[in-house]
Amino acid sequence: MTIMLEDVDEVVRALRTVLADEQILTGRADRFNRARVPAPFPVHRWAERVPDLVVLPTSTEQVAAIVKIAHDLRVPVVPRDGGTGLTDGAVPLRGGILIDVKRMNQVHELDLVNRTVTVGTGINMLKLNEYLAPYGLFYPDDPASYPCSLVGGRIGTSGWSLIGARYGHTRDLVMSFDHVLPTGEVIHVGDGIGHKVSKSSSGYQLKHLFMGHQGTLGIATRATLKLFPKPEAELSPFWAFYNYDDAYACTGALARAGVATFAGAVLFDEHKVAYLRRDDEAYIPQPNDVRALVCAVMYGWDDEVRAGGRRLFRIAKEHGARYLGDEISEGDWAARHDRYATPLHGRTKDGQVVPMSWHCEDAAINYSQLPSVTRAWHEIVADLRRRTDVFDDWGMFAYTQGSTGVDYLTEIDVGIWEQQLDDRAWAMWVDAKRRIARVTLDHGGSISACHGSCREGEVDLVPEELGRGFDLMLDIKRTLDPHNIMNPGKYLLDRAYPEEG
Amino acid sequence: MTDLDHDAQASADPLLAPFTPGMHGNPPELAELTRNDEIVPQVVIPLADVKTREFVEEWHNASYNCYSSGHKFCREVCPVVTETRNESWSPTAFHANVVAMERGELTIEDVAADYVNCTGCGACELRCPNTLYTGDFYRFRTRTVDVVKAARALAVESGVHQEGYRSWNARTAERSHEPVLGEVPVGQDTVRDWADGLGIPVGGETILFVDCEAAFYRTSVPRAVAQVLQKAGYEFGLMGEQWCCGGPAAEMGYVDQARTFAEHNLASWRATGTRRLLVLDPHDYISFTEDYPKFFGADFDLEVVLVVELFAEMIRDGRLVPDVAVDRAITYHDPCRLNKRKGIWKEPREVLRSIPGLRFEDVDRVTQWSYCSGAGGGLAVEKPELTAAISARRLDHAGRLDVDTLVSACPWSERPLTEAGDDVDIDVLDIHELLATSLGIEVGGSRGETGDRRLAQARTGAMGRVRRTKGARGPGDAPSGAGSGDAPGGAGSDAAGSGAGDR
Repeated sequence: MTIMLEDVDEVVRALRTVLADEQILTGRADRFNRARVPAPFPVHRWAERVPDLVVLPTSTEQVAAIVKIAHDLRVPVVPRDGGTGLTDGAVPLRGGILIDVKRMNQVHELDLVNRTVTVGTGINMLKLNEYLAPYGLFYPDDPASYPCSLVGGRIGTSGWSLIGARYGHTRDLVMSFDHVLPTGEVIHVGDGIGHKVSKSSSGYQLKHLFMGHQGTLGIATRATLKLFPKPEAELSPFWAFYNYDDAYACTGALARAGVATFAGAVLFDEHKVAYLRRDDEAYIPQPNDVRALVCAVMYGWDDEVRAGGRRLFRIAKEHGARYLGDEISEGDWAARHDRYATPLHGRTKDGQVVPMSWHCEDAAINYSQLPSVTRAWHEIVADLRRRTDVFDDWGMFAYTQGSTGVDYLTEIDVGIWEQQLDDRAWAMWVDAKRRIARVTLDHGGSISACHGSCREGEVDLVPEELGRGFDLMLDIKRTLDPHNIMNPGKYLLDRAYPEEG
Repeated sequence: MTDLDHDAQASADPLLAPFTPGMHGNPPELAELTRNDEIVPQVVIPLADVKTREFVEEWHNASYNCYSSGHKFCREVCPVVTETRNESWSPTAFHANVVAMERGELTIEDVAADYVNCTGCGACELRCPNTLYTGDFYRFRTRTVDVVKAARALAVESGVHQEGYRSWNARTAERSHEPVLGEVPVGQDTVRDWADGLGIPVGGETILFVDCEAAFYRTSVPRAVAQVLQKAGYEFGLMGEQWCCGGPAAEMGYVDQARTFAEHNLASWRATGTRRLLVLDPHDYISFTEDYPKFFGADFDLEVVLVVELFAEMIRDGRLVPDVAVDRAITYHDPCRLNKRKGIWKEPREVLRSIPGLRFEDVDRVTQWSYCSGAGGGLAVEKPELTAAISARRLDHAGRLDVDTLVSACPWSERPLTEAGDDVDIDVLDIHELLATSLGIEVGGSRGETGDRRLAQARTGAMGRVRRTKGARGPGDAPSGAGSGDAPGGAGSDAAGSGAGDR
């Protein structure tokens, strides 16, 4: 239901009433370059995922006017922020107008007294922190895509932060925001009416509803964020273990220790260590009996980090940890954002290096279920590899989600050689994703801790995960978006419009 | 969850035990599985257009390495994207286009105009995880600048011209120099005018190569360089018959023209027995160390010396002793082609630190990866307004420091930076000019209209520091401009800190 060419002209004419010509892009390259995100992408069917036109608004008013036009003309709208998501919220499935918010990257207000900053949602966190640094402040939303993802995308996906155990995740850090509904109306959502209120009991808690919807309920345009003192000290020890079981036990003990500066722990399984040995100069020289790793990170003032660090070192030692040294600890934590994003790690089973897209399948899993899920997921990827070198197993991480260690962002990193994708390989992948999600549900977990769960394969299990809640999603979708124009085709939400089917 | 005994299965299935592909001693079944792959290989889609096919064949793997990374760490350091926030003009798009061309989804006609939007600064290459983290291991490096040059060359070869580029290169071909003075003609008869009265011989073993912008527009730079060299007793001459280095033509895709110029210049050096080139312009330095060796291979056996490195060395060993105090508060602009393309950032700082009287507020070279004047890569030819905006942003960064002067080491950057500096009352000087002044040399020449006017104004008032009183700010205060500024996005910020009470 991509709109037809004469309609594009009509849409462009309407858009010109609210946008300058240079804010409306219709070129083929403009459209092709706003189709993909880092989630596995069927390159062989790229042309089916391009928008009909692209707009670059600069204000909430412009976004609202564009959406109003789309609503009136019944044209699909796809919001795109950083385009760095690992589910495909920003990928157009039905053409339409792609709203690229990158020009809305202003800092509107810095409130030093109340410790908040209000920004356009097109701003990137690294750039925001460059701006905040002279004030001794920082905004601790810290995903793997920290150098390139945008605040708006963090809201649309309800993002996950590596240091969330200390500072909270996106949902805790975004206090309120202006949001354009699928009809073009603008609302402000937060706790209560407040722009800068961190906890309210007034009315329904709507903020959560408008976070993590993958662009299906509208577009956040301007957000007020919670700020923290820039941490004086950061300690990020890496420890090696003889086996996965010891590392697993240690991770749990570190997370349960109740150290206030504890910002997170990461467990590397044996496949991950083998993967790092391929080409990572820090791990190639490690002796063979280094089979699993744990790192922890603490942020805070120097005195409190030292005290907390001593406690965590003691716990690690009790669990048989061997400290890998300052160089690896500091270097690897600093580089952790980037390590996974390079395609060069990909190898065929007999060792040929091939460029692969990094993909990470994530789920929220309770601590007690980690070993079992880890085994089951590797079996699924092994089945893929048995059939083809299009897929590669890059090992698994488990990251603490919160400060008590109850659950973990559990991810299996899968290399995908997209150059070789065809319909058969894509079908294998979609089936594997369905199996991965099945394992998650069988273990009492949630299909996604941070990316979203609306891609082919996994999405089939979302109604099962949410139960009656999924029907409620359909009701809400239909109420807010009566004509299904807002990012259509995602999350099985077409089921809200049976008359169209 | 399966009920199978995990350990028993693991021992039977080599894919369930962790292993490093390609390692000696791996189970032979692994290689066998690779041989019997269900999917790989796939037939590559043939492209009818030969030129496009050759371009794609050369760049598709490098492009795919970017495309499949999918992350865009380059985006927020790219000066063009920072300014325009247009993803079609990002390093990622410049690579993705090649993948799309390989698949027949895009043609050079679709993308040629987009490739204008690159200053060739190289920030994206440095920031790329492929370069940063595994590049050394695999001997791989992201080469966006070369991809852009190749795409522009393909456009020209395919008859797809950008009007600004076409006209600039046509006029350059006609005059053998770039038309840097607009309607005022440039040419062989005036290329040495900057050196009037300095008594520099022509030819010789070492010659000073002066780029078009410095030779015709910012003539104070070559005058400063020449006089410093003379003061140090360094023997050098001017080129027999100097043409444009050809670098700009190469950057804009006019490869044949670039080669013609290079051939001319090489012949001229041969004719004067020249063995060594002194280069004051970073863009020429790229031409002579990258383009010429590509054109001529081992035949290009001249030594190429970057003047600012030579001066740093002369200061180090005492051949130059700057002893005239320069009363300015400066910061240094790392020219992209030195800092990002060639890793040269130490020597200019050495030179600046040797100058007495300067207050030097340095900005880390890595922070400066995202800084640019916008003048490079032909951007100013095709989109002068974008160059001006990038320069204004650079001056905005400088304006947050307690400085009255921005020092550059690249004549091409200095024109747009000087204009942008005039708007915020910051002088833009060349490092060679500053060093010459500190050696007691009356430099002479022109810094361009705006630069000359500003200098004249400064001279009628107090020396240096005319802009603001230094040191008025307490160490604990937030920087003056930080509330309103560059916050990526810049000009549109509608409020400074409401918490002014905290400051």
